[in-house]
Amino acid sequence: MEASKPSLAYLIPGHLIRAIRLAAGILLASAGATALADETCMSPFMPKITGQEDYVYVWTLGIEGMGDGSDKLVTVDVRPGSATYGQVIASVSVGGRNEAHHGGFTDDRRYFWTSGLDTSRIFIFDIHTDPGHPKLERTIDDFVQATGGVVGPHGAYALPGRMLMSGLSNAKDEGGRTALVEYTNDGRFLATHWMPTSEDPRGAQVEAVADGYGYDQRVLPRKNVMLTSSFTGKSNYMMDFGKMLQDEQAMKRFGQTVVLWDFHERQPRKVFHVPGAPLEIRWAWGPEHNYAFTTTALTSKIWLIEEASDGEWRANAVADVGTPSDIPLPVDISLSADDKTLFVDTFMDGKVRVFDVSDPHSPKQIHEQRIGRQLNMVSQSWDGKRVYFTTSLLANWDKKGADNDQFIKGYDWDGKELHHRFTIDFNERQLGRPHIMRFGADSLYTN
Amino acid sequence: MRIAGLFGAGLIMSLIMSAALADPAHRHGGAATAEPPRPAGFDYDPPKPGSYRLPPLGVAADGVALDETGAERRLHDLMKEGITVLSFIYTRCGDICPLGTMLMRDLHEATAGDPGLTSGLRLITMSFDPDYDTPEVMAREARELRGGKGADWYFLTARDKGELREILAAYDQRVLTRADPDGPLAHQLRVYLIDREQRIRNIYSLDFLDPRLVLADIRTLALEETAGR
Repeated sequence: MEASKPSLAYLIPGHLIRAIRLAAGILLASAGATALADETCMSPFMPKITGQEDYVYVWTLGIEGMGDGSDKLVTVDVRPGSATYGQVIASVSVGGRNEAHHGGFTDDRRYFWTSGLDTSRIFIFDIHTDPGHPKLERTIDDFVQATGGVVGPHGAYALPGRMLMSGLSNAKDEGGRTALVEYTNDGRFLATHWMPTSEDPRGAQVEAVADGYGYDQRVLPRKNVMLTSSFTGKSNYMMDFGKMLQDEQAMKRFGQTVVLWDFHERQPRKVFHVPGAPLEIRWAWGPEHNYAFTTTALTSKIWLIEEASDGEWRANAVADVGTPSDIPLPVDISLSADDKTLFVDTFMDGKVRVFDVSDPHSPKQIHEQRIGRQLNMVSQSWDGKRVYFTTSLLANWDKKGADNDQFIKGYDWDGKELHHRFTIDFNERQLGRPHIMRFGADSLYTN
Repeated sequence: MRIAGLFGAGLIMSLIMSAALADPAHRHGGAATAEPPRPAGFDYDPPKPGSYRLPPLGVAADGVALDETGAERRLHDLMKEGITVLSFIYTRCGDICPLGTMLMRDLHEATAGDPGLTSGLRLITMSFDPDYDTPEVMAREARELRGGKGADWYFLTARDKGELREILAAYDQRVLTRADPDGPLAHQLRVYLIDREQRIRNIYSLDFLDPRLVLADIRTLALEETAGR
């Protein structure tokens, strides 16, 4: 097993590496200590764990009658050789249920912002003082009021000195129209940027429709562009899944757009038609790779959003995930640091499918494995050797009864097969529904 | 092995400076250019100044430092004269600091061709390694980097470590405690844009060290000042 060598070294962009190489190849001996990729799913604007992660932080939904019933941040020890490897070593309850969902680190990686889709509260955990035992530092309770009516804070994406949050809904009708929201790292509200709509495209070119929905947000700074995707509003994500499927009107209220933004200006430039609720967005890492992937939950496709040789940005479906008519429901995805491998989790069949995306226009499935009876999030280490899975989608959408698997599982990935390392049953441990995962390491905070 | 141990920081800087800019039209040591060229790898047209907002991120903290002559300087005294770009570095840094300094030099050169900006902009490079970066060392840096024209560019170092800690903490500028007295100082590279009212208006990390972008922000603040008069 590779020795632990997380690094505070910050990502040196490829173009700057190349510039330095032009000046003096020997200088790379100095710059080479820095990672050229992230743990693949996070904002690039933060220090990287370039070797073995020590901890996996799991933002977990509380279940009424289970344990303390509250949402909590669960810390799992993944240090090889540790006496508590593959075990829960800390759990911090936030005192209530908020529909815990996504989160992200600040750019200095000292704080972990997590959010609740139901209560629109944001919980900020200190993870640097004692990385193995995070502490709840503060809570933002006035998100809806401060943002002018945005509901359902979702992804927290680090920018230098600030956090960019996506919303999922709005206070007016609890539908899918929503906004991006900016905060300072210390939790002070900065700005709201509403998504473009057909009625108010805000100067954007609209391919078919501008629904104004939101979900994920990812920046490619060397192109000064950002992509946002679209899910559904509170009226749907808090509804019982079975009931929603029978509700014809509710099923019409899903996102069908990906928006390309001029990032620095926070100006929407183009609204792509990507039907079927495009969720996670992953930019390729290669310095010449001007493209990103997303998957559509309802139509079960991998989409490629790329800058073509003529300079135009386009979005095209490039592969199916499973059999779309079976509605396997692709959820989380993870792109490897070398841009060659894409992990795709599907909720309904509990499977991970691994695609060779060396040719991004023609993904080829190279592995398929059932991880559980339901499956949602996937996170891989930056070196691609370790992969972790959790199960919960939303409290009211998770399967019921015996199918309601709730776990984190850790695997090793050898490029062809997954090798199981550990399982923690969150039902058995009375913890709740595990959702997003992020990695921690002690040595991020020491020289 | 760290490059700073093999070559002086000035040599590293000159190596980088001599080749980091892809545009052959860029003139080092020659006549100043009003607009910096597009750096290699940044593939976009810079935003139009004034077409976007830069909400204040917080107060730019005050503090006392030493300039290259050893004289005490209050940060706010320097900042109140105009828009400020502030970069924390240490001169023995062998990897990321030179990239921040490269940005400062690009801004310095660009303002040499824009008298309107020259008078309204202050550049501050401040070391967080006072053990080595004495005023004399900073003076040497200044001689190597500062041209005869362009915006005022101050090279500061800390008066004492206690004050330095307070300044770094106020700017949320992470520098980890050095394990080896001669070893590197792991830190987060941040460059700050500060308005005349000593408010931080933007922060740039490595991915945003494009002088065209920073100039657009500076001009956005200048337009804001003009509109506010």
